[in-house]
Amino acid sequence: MNVVVTGHVDHGKSTLIGRLLYDSKQITEGRISEVQKLAQEYKKKFEFAYFIDSYRDELKEERTIDTTQVRFKGKERIYTIIDTPGHKEFVKNMLTGASRADAAILVVSVTDGAQEQTKRHLFLLDLLGIRNLIVFVNKMDLVSYDIKKFLDIEVQVSKLIKEYNFESIRYIQGSALEGLNVYKEGVVDALDSLIIREWEKPMRFLVQDTYRNIIVGKVISGTLKEEDILGFQPSGLWGQVSSLLTYKANLKEAGEGTSIGLVMDTYPKRGDVGMLKQDWIKAKEEYDVEFVLIDGKVEVGTPLQLKCGTKIVNCEIKKIKSKVDSETGEILQEVSPKKVKENEAAIAIIGSDPIVVEPFSKIPELGRFTLSKNKKIIGMGVVL
Amino acid sequence: MEAQLVNESIFILRETYAEFKNPAILWSMGKDSTASLNLCREAFLGKIPFPVIHIDTGYKFKEMYEFRDLLVKEWNLDLIVARNNEHTSPDKGKFKCCTQLKTEALLKCLQDYKFDAIIVSIRRDEHGIRAKERVFSPRSTNSKWNYKNQPLEVWDLYQNLSKDKEHTRIHPILHWTELDVWKYIKEGNLPYNPMYLAKEGKRYRSLGCEPCTFPIESDADTIDKIIEELRTTKVSERGGRIQDKEQAFSMQKLRTLGYM
Repeated sequence: MNVVVTGHVDHGKSTLIGRLLYDSKQITEGRISEVQKLAQEYKKKFEFAYFIDSYRDELKEERTIDTTQVRFKGKERIYTIIDTPGHKEFVKNMLTGASRADAAILVVSVTDGAQEQTKRHLFLLDLLGIRNLIVFVNKMDLVSYDIKKFLDIEVQVSKLIKEYNFESIRYIQGSALEGLNVYKEGVVDALDSLIIREWEKPMRFLVQDTYRNIIVGKVISGTLKEEDILGFQPSGLWGQVSSLLTYKANLKEAGEGTSIGLVMDTYPKRGDVGMLKQDWIKAKEEYDVEFVLIDGKVEVGTPLQLKCGTKIVNCEIKKIKSKVDSETGEILQEVSPKKVKENEAAIAIIGSDPIVVEPFSKIPELGRFTLSKNKKIIGMGVVL
Repeated sequence: MEAQLVNESIFILRETYAEFKNPAILWSMGKDSTASLNLCREAFLGKIPFPVIHIDTGYKFKEMYEFRDLLVKEWNLDLIVARNNEHTSPDKGKFKCCTQLKTEALLKCLQDYKFDAIIVSIRRDEHGIRAKERVFSPRSTNSKWNYKNQPLEVWDLYQNLSKDKEHTRIHPILHWTELDVWKYIKEGNLPYNPMYLAKEGKRYRSLGCEPCTFPIESDADTIDKIIEELRTTKVSERGGRIQDKEQAFSMQKLRTLGYM
């Protein structure tokens, strides 16, 4: 399970992860002495955050710049813990990390309460489809573990997430610095009790390439079986799977997430999506999306590229229905907006060359995309 | 070994082959890049459709060259051996030596063959600096890694963002751990360099150049014992590699210049 740690700058994200790793004895002795030596060299007090803030600049400036991942063994299962930066200027690095997560820990300092990036991160986590949230109210040692202060933060965060779609929310008070409610109980137990919701999805096969006469790609949802008849979009081809194989073996069927090769009586193209007749859909040229811009600005009609699955198409924004404040998730009262700027989010209609897209809530892999311009990724979003 | 890890790596390798015109893979004959070679065989259903580059510093262990020649034949590899002939030696400074013999040899090879993507088998759990990497990691025309301004890389939407004369580093096993690699080698019954197994109480955990690589204390003389050892070890994998530790942040400096 992948868990992202988010929150405002200096609220203690990296410290929490460092503490988790240290208390669970997953940091090597070499790394401990290396970090102690570094702290001395830079005349700084030893910090748990130094275990994962590995750039020289991060140590010097005492802030996380880019996202990082560490494997962590809980009591029940193994996690990939994803650290993210809490500065506004590094939102793209936060998104890079958080997009891989199944669940999130939001760190909020009890002395500071929810701040700008706390709010923005909540909005982005919701947009990324994360439904499991653990709110870790940190630095309780600074308020002598005053339970009333903890409850104030709980009320504050509850109000912020009222409109979002989080399904499981846990509040934990503790101190990453002192190690209270981190490893022994608290955060780890909350992680171990998380359940990631699964739901029934139709079969979708993403075409990556053709090698000699074998079509290669990935089953992104459902189960693909030998002899299945597939309809491909946007190419419009139909064909039957005569064999289904990996390098090692021939298979009778392949489930979600499997990279496979197909022998068929047709040759779909890279970017095509294969579907079964009963839940086949047509490629679209217009669809509703919600997106965040991380770089520059985009106007209605600006030529862009969109990537979804393995397909890249030319696209433009046809209409901006509304702009969303990425700090609060609230719809902004702007009359017929025509452009979106850096760090802004919008609900819009995109027009593009034909591409298979589906609502993110139905099939995530076909409902998430990037926007790019001149070989630079400038935004990301989901299909509504 | 989780099947999901292998599936993700195969997906990344196939995306690489589709997105780039002229890719190649680096092979150091170590466990990680040998695992990656086998992942390529899985992804491309047998024959690896691009060259395999060995950056030869001239300081590798004899057993590594033997292992290389054996596998080139057995797996039918299209091998390129790249060297920097204006070479230095480790006693003139590890940083300079690594940069000249590895980084510069690689950069020259990239220019000579005009590769636009280089597959490198680094993992996040090896080093904090490597943990910061993207799966598709663009390099500037002079091969520098702009670590302060890495692109957005969300979900598994990997994209070729390189412009003319730039190249992209591809990291197909970035999400694996050392333990995952050994489990993959064991389950696939893959060949590996015998230096990884303990002899007289010592074994190599990470293989590099002879003057800068040292064995660790270990009795693990089978893969099963290595796997067991890794489950409980308190020592870091690259503990026996000097170049990371010459001074603080050596790895960051090396990698900024184009080191793997």
